[in-house]
This record gives sequence, C-alpha cells and structure tokens, in this order.
Amino acid sequence: MTEEQLAAEVRAWLSANWDAKQKVKAESFGRSPYQPFLQKVVAAGWAVPTWPKEIGGLGLTPAEGRLIEAEFAAVGAPGAGQDRHNLWANTALAHATPEFRDEIVPKLLTGSVGMCLLYSEPGAGSDLAAVRTRADREGDNFRVNGQKVWTSGAAIADYGMLIARTDWDAPKHKGISFFFLPMKQPGIDVRPLRQITDEAHFNEVFIADALVPAANLLGPLNGGWGVLQTALAYERSVMGDAARGPRSGKSSPKGDGALVELAREAGVLEDPLVRQDIAQVTAWKILNRLNNARAKAELKRGTSSPIMSLGKLAMSRILHQEARLRTQMLGAESMLEGADFPRAEDANFLSLNAYFTSIGGGTDQIQRNIIGERVLGLPKEPEVDRDMPFREVKSG
Amino acid sequence: MRNRLSTEELEAFLDSLRRLLADRCTEADVRRVMESRDGHDAALWKQLAEMGVAGLAIEPEHGGLGAGPAVLERAMEELGAVLAPTPILSSVLAASLLEGLEAAGRLLPGIADGSTIAAVALTGPKAKWTAETVGVEASPRGNGWQLEGRAAFVLHAGLADVLLVAARTADGIGLFELSPKAEGVAVSALPAFDRTLSMADVRFAGADAVRLSPAGDFWPEVEQALDLARVALAGEQAGGARRVFEITVDYARERHQFGRSIGSFQAIKHMAADLLLESESAISAARHAGTALAEGAEDAGQSVSLAAFACADAFSRVTADSIQMHGGIAFTWVNPVHLYLRRARADAQLFGTPAAMRERFVQQLGG
Repeated sequence: MTEEQLAAEVRAWLSANWDAKQKVKAESFGRSPYQPFLQKVVAAGWAVPTWPKEIGGLGLTPAEGRLIEAEFAAVGAPGAGQDRHNLWANTALAHATPEFRDEIVPKLLTGSVGMCLLYSEPGAGSDLAAVRTRADREGDNFRVNGQKVWTSGAAIADYGMLIARTDWDAPKHKGISFFFLPMKQPGIDVRPLRQITDEAHFNEVFIADALVPAANLLGPLNGGWGVLQTALAYERSVMGDAARGPRSGKSSPKGDGALVELAREAGVLEDPLVRQDIAQVTAWKILNRLNNARAKAELKRGTSSPIMSLGKLAMSRILHQEARLRTQMLGAESMLEGADFPRAEDANFLSLNAYFTSIGGGTDQIQRNIIGERVLGLPKEPEVDRDMPFREVKSG
Repeated sequence: MRNRLSTEELEAFLDSLRRLLADRCTEADVRRVMESRDGHDAALWKQLAEMGVAGLAIEPEHGGLGAGPAVLERAMEELGAVLAPTPILSSVLAASLLEGLEAAGRLLPGIADGSTIAAVALTGPKAKWTAETVGVEASPRGNGWQLEGRAAFVLHAGLADVLLVAARTADGIGLFELSPKAEGVAVSALPAFDRTLSMADVRFAGADAVRLSPAGDFWPEVEQALDLARVALAGEQAGGARRVFEITVDYARERHQFGRSIGSFQAIKHMAADLLLESESAISAARHAGTALAEGAEDAGQSVSLAAFACADAFSRVTADSIQMHGGIAFTWVNPVHLYLRRARADAQLFGTPAAMRERFVQQLGG
C-alpha cells in the first residue's frame, strides 16, 4: 500500500467513525471518556500500527505509523500513536508475562482502566533506587507495605505501576521488583497532598498489607530497575515541553508580545531595565521553541540530537525568570492575592509553580547529571552505596 | 536572495569547507596570523574564495555563489569554529550594499573571487552602527563628492583595495567609494584585543569620492546589509561557542584530579550541561535568522535581533566559563580557549551591542 492509499484509508475510516463533537477535555490518568471509540480504534489496528499483528498491530513501519497519527491529529481524534506514547501499554508489552499482557494491554489501549505511578517515596526522591516499600511473597501473591508520594490520579486508578523492594540483602538497584498493583482494595489509603500553590494535584499513597498477584510482576523478580528504565523512557517522551503558565490566565496576553503588553498595562514599559529583561525572557521562550523544532527535524533525519535533553532546563529557567520579571513589573501589588488582583495572582502562582518544572520529574540538578553523563559522556560520580547490601544503606 | 543549494549540496559544500579549514586553518595558523597582527591569512582567503566562500552572498551574475543567508550562516559556523582570520564580514557587507547598484558589475566580481578586499565604513567613534552615529560628511565638489570626518572600527581597512563609506549628505545617508590610498584618507590600524581581527580608524580630510547610491537616504539599505552581516556574525559566534564547548568537555573528560576525571564532579558537569543549552540555543537562533532572511519572512528583522544578542551572549558566556572549567591551564597563553574569548568579546561589540539588539527586539515585539 502506498502512503497516499494508507492516508486515504485512515481518512475514510475516521469520517465514518469519528465525530468531532465527541471531543471532551480528557485527563491523562483516569479511565478514558472515549472508550467506545477507542475500542473501534484498537479493533482497526490504528492504535498500535507498528506492533506485530499477533498482538493487535498491523506490522507497519514507524513512518507509516506517524502518517496515521497525523491523520488522527488533523481531525482531533484520540487513540492513535499509542505504540509511541502509551507508557502503560508499552511497559506491559515489553515486560509482562504473556498471560498478563494479553489481559491488560487491550484494557490499557482502550482506556478502560485508570492508571497511576507508584515510584517516589518520602525517602526516595532523586535517588529512586532507595525505595523502602516492601513486597513479600505469600503463596500466589506479594504482600505490600510502604508509602508512596507525588502520585497523580491515585484516587481514580485501577492499577498503579509499583516499584518495591523484594531483596534487602542485594545492592540497591538489584533488589527491586516492578508490579501492576490493583488499587481498589483495602490497605490502600490515598490522601491528597496540599502543594505550596494551595492546590492538590498529587496524592500520598499509604500501603498497608495490600496484595498483588505474583502474575502481575513485570520482568524478573528483583529485575524491576530495568523495567523502570523502559517506563521512564516512555514517560519522558510523553512529558514533552508542556508547562503550565500563570493560573488564571486572566491577566495574560498571549504570544511573543505578551510580556510587552503586561509591562504596558503595569505602566513600566518605558523602564529600560524591564525592557532588557522582557527581551531576555521572550528570547528564551522563542529559543526553546526553535531548539525543539530543530531536535524534531534532526530526529526525522535519523540523527539523534542532544537538544532533546535540554527542554526541561530551558523551561525551568523561563518560568522562574518570567515569575521574577512579572513580580518586578507589579511591585507592591505582588503582595496581594485573590480574584480582584489577577496580575498578582498570576505572578505569585508562577513564582511557586515554576518549581513544578524545576523539581518535578527529577530536579534540574539531576537533569544536569543526566545531560553530563548520557549526552556529553562525562563519567558518573562514584556512588558509595552502589554495591552495598541495601539493608546497610543510609537513606531518608 | 534564495538558498539555491539542495540539502545534499549544502552538506557536501560544508564538508569540503571543514576539510579545507582543518588542513589550512589550524591553531598554529591562527597564532601565526596573530603574530603578524594584520588579521589576515591571504593564502587561506584565496583558497576560500576558490571554493566560493568569499562570494557566498554575491549573486551568480556577479561571480558569486548567490547561496543566500541560510547557507552563509552555516559556512560562518565553520569559520567561527576555527577562528578563521578572514575578511568575510567585510565581503558580506559589501556584497549586500552593492547588489542592485550600478557599481555592482564593476566591484563585485573582484570581491567574489577574492582579488579585491572592500572595507566598509559605517559608523563613527560612538560605534552604534546607527544613522545618527555616522561620523563622515559628504559634500558635492565639481562632478563628484568630498568626504570629511572620521569612521571608526572599520574592519579590514588596512588590507582594503576599496573603501565603501556611509556619509551624511543633505538628502540623507549616502554610500561612497574611494581608494584607501587616495589623498585625504588616513588609515590607522587599531590595536585589536582579538589579534586575529584587522581593524582601523579612517579619517577623511577633503578626500574625493564617488557616490554609489542614488539620491536620497540609503540608510535602509545599510540596515539591510547590517542585518545580513549580523546573521553571518551570529553564525560565527554559534560555531565558535560550540567548538570551544567541545574542547572544554573533552578536557573535562581527560583531566584527572583527586583520582578521577574532573568531568565526573557535579560542579563541572552542571556547568557543562548549562553551556550545552547556551551553545545549542545559539545554533538554533543563528540558523533560524538565516532561514528567516533567506525566505524574506515577515518577522525576519526580529529573528535577526534575537540571534544577534542570543549568539553574542552565548559565545561570551561559553568562552568565559570554559576558562573557569579548565582551571589554570587556560590561564596560559599556549592554551587556545582565550583565543575564543578574545573573538567572543570583539564579536559582541560589532554591528550593535547585545543590549542595543535587545532594545531593538522589544520594539519589534511591539514595545
């Protein structure tokens, strides 16, 4: 089939099956509001076209896969490109037993189960391999005890992707296992976590004697670190460069001229220092766009690009500096909050929420390590606990 | 002007340029030019001209490649990476100023084949490269004109066969041509901190000159020429930043202290990650500006301003931090990093400062 024929086929299928009026604002965690449509997408093979036919794909090339994605994107239809983006399904496909894979993957592709991530713990943030949540074998199950944090969607999830310690005598990376933990059971207590922004997008998850079937183990027992790397790679690829700007958006003109407009409204556009800062922050925003566009173009040509790793650092700097600049423009007004002071509300929110980007998903400092080591090939720092039995490791 | 090279042709062109430079513009070659202090490697320039580099921005009808701003920018990345001491920026300015003028057919072929070096005098001692800071006055005399005043920081004037001078007339800024050896012209070389840079003060005392531009204000055309030169300069800065960064990361990998590579220390590693962002952003900015000019994009001017200050700042920061990351070895004359620092400091002043370009950028954003 030629590319034109494939594109025509996808277009015809979409016009028969997709109604743009179905479009709703979808959350990325709970069950999908599009389940009936997604079932048709999966049945037609459009969800994972590059997977082999035996597991629901069409055996197409990546280029053909992207073509299908582009047709879906053109009409705003969900469900295509899951072979590239569906973190849950790809992780299960790569590491689940055939039985569990056949049971869970179709549900993940049709969005009929809600998911969450059970990685970080109070004592295992940047150092994720220091997890202390334990999973102990009991017959056909593992019994799980511990505490997880920064979990989005935990209250509505059916499963959590869990890393837990299964061998305390092995070194830290070698005693971790990876599970699909059923969330709707006694012993799992989900509590919203109040953030510095006074919002609660995340939860703490307290796990006391919860059970997970041994069949839900992904990868080998004590081989969970490797499974986690697959999952993290997919997570990073979907995180992209999206970041939230100011909260209300009420005081926020759009486009590259936005900061100029804000300065004009605040009556400080004539201040030469403000003008220099506007140029700098706006330039960083544009440069980040240009970098991303260049990375995509280089990826298309098949050359791997070091730029992919830079978006997070760039975005952190943009958000923190924009918050600083907005605060500087407002002066004393920035001491206020509430609906009557939308500009102050925006500047204050941004100044706090910038940390969502500079700490979340690995701090900027960890990101600099990753860039230094994986992109620039600089050696790692020696890790004193790397080969020690985990039981003897200090953490927390 | 449009990019007439395909992607493959461009890659092939850049590849042969890289090979020529690797062979003919080594660190030793650059240092030899520094010692001579005329900021010019005549043999290298001849070979570059044979490849078409001198005439990159000159249309084919006048003997150039007519490759357009995007290709020019890419070539400048390569020249910047090795700190090539050439009169390319003057050649770019002259090409842009002369294209479309009657004198183009007479002057451009020699510039394109490298046999003529044209120096372009656009600013007075205040060196803002604005119409207001032009320091030369032109007044009619007989059938011609005579120039009075001072042009400052004129690149390659000491090497030039021809001077192109922006001078104030009763009907705006005009463009004038004369020989640097003409009576009433005094070219005095300036001691440049970047010793690969040829730069001079040029004083005019009733020197006879030919007016090349038509009646009326020619400054809009000068501004266009400056924008093309800014894109070329941005390419040089981006290429230089990337190369000095590579040199520094290589050193951080090889240099051992406390029993391990200094690049394994987060204090160094984190600086490296930040500089990667700077140098890659500079590449993106410079290439985008080149493409925007080549395509005649509506916001091309804004892209040029952005590239001008982003690349200047990136080159300055990357070179400065590179010395710090090297430690003591980069405080010595024999280490090459300071050569990049010198170039970065000079480049950051040419054709308008980063602060001036930021101000222009804000105006272009609507401020």
